[in-house]
Amino acid sequence: MFRTGHNDRPGALGLALFILIALLPIGFSLGYAFAYSVGLTGLLSEGPTGRHWAQLLREGEIWASFGLSLYVAAATVVLGVSGALLLVLYLRRPLRRGVLAYLIYLPLALPATVTAFLTYQVLSSTGYLARWLLALGLLEEASQLPGLVNDAGGVGIIAAHVGMAVPFFTLLFLHLYDSEKLDALTDLARTLGAGRRACLYRVTVPILLARARPNIVLLFIFVLGSYEIPLLLGRQAPQMVSVLAMRKYALFDLTEKPEAFIIALLYTALVLLLLIAGMRDGTVFRRGRETP
Amino acid sequence: MSTATLEPRTKTAPLRRLAALAVGAACLFPFAYLLLLSLARRWPFPALWPDGFQPDRWHDVLSGTGNLAAGFALSGLISLTVAALSTAAGYVTGKYIAYHPRRQTLLFLAYIPFIMSPVILGTCLMYLYLKAGLAGSTTGVILAQSMFAYGFGIVFFSAFWNPEVKALEDLVFTLGGSRLDAYRRVLLPVSRGPLLVCFFQTFLISWFQYGLTLLIGTGKVQTLPLLVYAYLNEANVHYAAMAACLLILPPALLLWINKRFVFNEMREF
Repeated sequence: MFRTGHNDRPGALGLALFILIALLPIGFSLGYAFAYSVGLTGLLSEGPTGRHWAQLLREGEIWASFGLSLYVAAATVVLGVSGALLLVLYLRRPLRRGVLAYLIYLPLALPATVTAFLTYQVLSSTGYLARWLLALGLLEEASQLPGLVNDAGGVGIIAAHVGMAVPFFTLLFLHLYDSEKLDALTDLARTLGAGRRACLYRVTVPILLARARPNIVLLFIFVLGSYEIPLLLGRQAPQMVSVLAMRKYALFDLTEKPEAFIIALLYTALVLLLLIAGMRDGTVFRRGRETP
Repeated sequence: MSTATLEPRTKTAPLRRLAALAVGAACLFPFAYLLLLSLARRWPFPALWPDGFQPDRWHDVLSGTGNLAAGFALSGLISLTVAALSTAAGYVTGKYIAYHPRRQTLLFLAYIPFIMSPVILGTCLMYLYLKAGLAGSTTGVILAQSMFAYGFGIVFFSAFWNPEVKALEDLVFTLGGSRLDAYRRVLLPVSRGPLLVCFFQTFLISWFQYGLTLLIGTGKVQTLPLLVYAYLNEANVHYAAMAACLLILPPALLLWINKRFVFNEMREF
């Protein structure tokens, strides 16, 4: 049925172009990173060695870094998705019409760079939140405010990511609510004797979460590799994976460079595994029609 | 009205209105705060309001002088180029992949640049860009950003090219039309909306890009996101706020104008 599709010459050229400018450079670069990490290339290369791998994997820094990244990604997913669900379930009507229906789109225009800057401006010890708490008499001095940025718990990093995720997921759930005809489904459930709570937990929420699964997986992956936000709001140690890789790469100490590449390789392996898992269970690719 | 959600009951209506007001204020706060900070002469701690305003910084930008005007122009040039290239290429390649027998595998490959951290991939790509003499150049930054935006374009359009669109194309051939006719009279008019959305999205991917631009541009290609951090490093929050305003106002305006249209098309990624 789709026989003209792969005889499509411009399309084939497009694919060749994609392979040439994207996939080949990525493949080559990952190969180069591996060669560098085992001492086969680089200014200080001394022949094949597993020393850099052994040294990095022995250190706690990399495990703490991956641990922090996974924790921030998981916390963002849980808080961001829950927040959006709550908004859609509680404020669906104003979100559909009126001024709020317009305003909710505005945060989508905020990039990570600006969100990080804003979060710092609001949550730091001399930030806007501290000013208000002082003005309201809830604090006597700014130092009483617990550290919300550059803190051990990654509160600032998570808050910034959640702030970016909530508007997107609110709009997504709002759209799914209509496209999945949830009003009609819940009315049907009510007719069949289900209570308000049962409708909410056994119809509305499961359907919204199931349909939003690809986006939830992608949110997790994006936060895992986030750079701008932890760069400004994170601590010196541990650092999230992207920040750690960039720091080790950009250092003047060339002996740190193989470690930057090892981190990049481990991150790539993790993301590819997540993508393959998403593909296998249909989470990521279940879109449109099946291939004929 | 459905009873299965937390939707209105009369006694909770004021609370709900208050919550809606709070959400609206939270959506507006970033824009208002950044604008205020960019206009403030000084804003010492613990004041809730700046102690005076100084529009000179905005005047400099609007009259085209200073780093920010140049950064805005450069960001615009890079983002428009990346968006045009990746949308056009993604449109054609997405069609090929969508109808290909090995669609899943090819789509998997298209996802790789789209979902990887640009900074981490950038550290590995740097060697190649250095060897090719592209590091530190605007061309290098455009090429590197296009790699990621192209992946998005393919993923985006592979969903657009579905059996209905294919049937429309086949109908043109059945009625004696050529491939050019199919594109000119059917496919391009049908895909005008998705083309605009993909252009907008890839424009944003490039417009907001920080880490990859910093790496491949080696700090020499000063786009707006880089200027935000550069001003922050100088502890110049007022200029950082102004750079942030310039960064968010164009997309916010576009989103406001095309809100439902843009979101409904881009929602499922």
